[in-house]
Amino acid sequence: MGQTEGRRSQLLRGVLDLCLLAVMGDGPAYGYEMTKRLRARGLSTVGEGSIYPVLGRLERDRLVETHRAASNGGPPRKYYRLSPEGERALAAGVSEWQAVRDAVDGALGLVKAEVMP
Amino acid sequence: MSEFVDECRREWRRLGVPDPVASEMAADLTADLEEAEAEGGSPEDVLGNSAFDPRRFAAAWAAARGVTGAPIPERPSPWRAPIAIALAVILGVLTMGAGLALLVGRSGSSIAFATRRIVAVPGPIHLFAPGSGRGVIPGPLGRVLGGTAVTGVDIHPFAWMLFIIGLTGLGVFAFLYWSHGGGPRRYRRRERRQNPSWN
Repeated sequence: MGQTEGRRSQLLRGVLDLCLLAVMGDGPAYGYEMTKRLRARGLSTVGEGSIYPVLGRLERDRLVETHRAASNGGPPRKYYRLSPEGERALAAGVSEWQAVRDAVDGALGLVKAEVMP
Repeated sequence: MSEFVDECRREWRRLGVPDPVASEMAADLTADLEEAEAEGGSPEDVLGNSAFDPRRFAAAWAAARGVTGAPIPERPSPWRAPIAIALAVILGVLTMGAGLALLVGRSGSSIAFATRRIVAVPGPIHLFAPGSGRGVIPGPLGRVLGGTAVTGVDIHPFAWMLFIIGLTGLGVFAFLYWSHGGGPRRYRRRERRQNPSWN
């Protein structure tokens, strides 16, 4: 794994739960379907881990609700959808991410100004 | 693919995950892997690098869900320890005995001669006949042999052989014990596996 890919994976790991909650906003989805939704939004690499432990933690923390239903021509799947607590956690997480992102942008902006005037 | 899921199931069983929960996770995982394969993808598309470490993946997933019970320790069967101890004692005695015989043999004492030659002569037990440098076989056997100077087996090579076998055996035993049986590394590995610090 290259340095860039490794950093991207580390960054994604910190916010993967938020990303999963966000793609569930498009509607209930099963595990691999969420992987595909993430890929469609540009997060093509799952990286070092996978989404299953994160989904497990979200379920344990009651941020998602689950039910089993038949998929398109396939076996019954476990579908995840946002719970009310999950919606609140997503909103709070997005605010937190934006604050962190702005701060990092500020720091990196200074570096950019110094390196490339 | 099924091998990956099977390995996960074994790990969940070891971790005490209830069967219905394990079956559910295995079914979901299988369905996702099959769908990815049908679309021309690979297990890595579903699992990332976890595709190469099913036990760690399974442990992380179960821990995240909070469904692990009391883990079933990987203890050896109850008779394994006594057998190992007995084997070690036998090897130790063998090595020490052979080593002692060789040491004394080198120093040229009567014991060394006694271990080198056993000669049958009539009469009572005189394993270490003073000055003769010979051990003797007493009683009826000795009488049957009638004092014929039956040259005994020179056990010096046997002593060397036993010493080397014993030493090698002890070395192999120690290696196996530390690498598989019960060295500290084993426990550290177990602790890491039971408390994955990942995801």
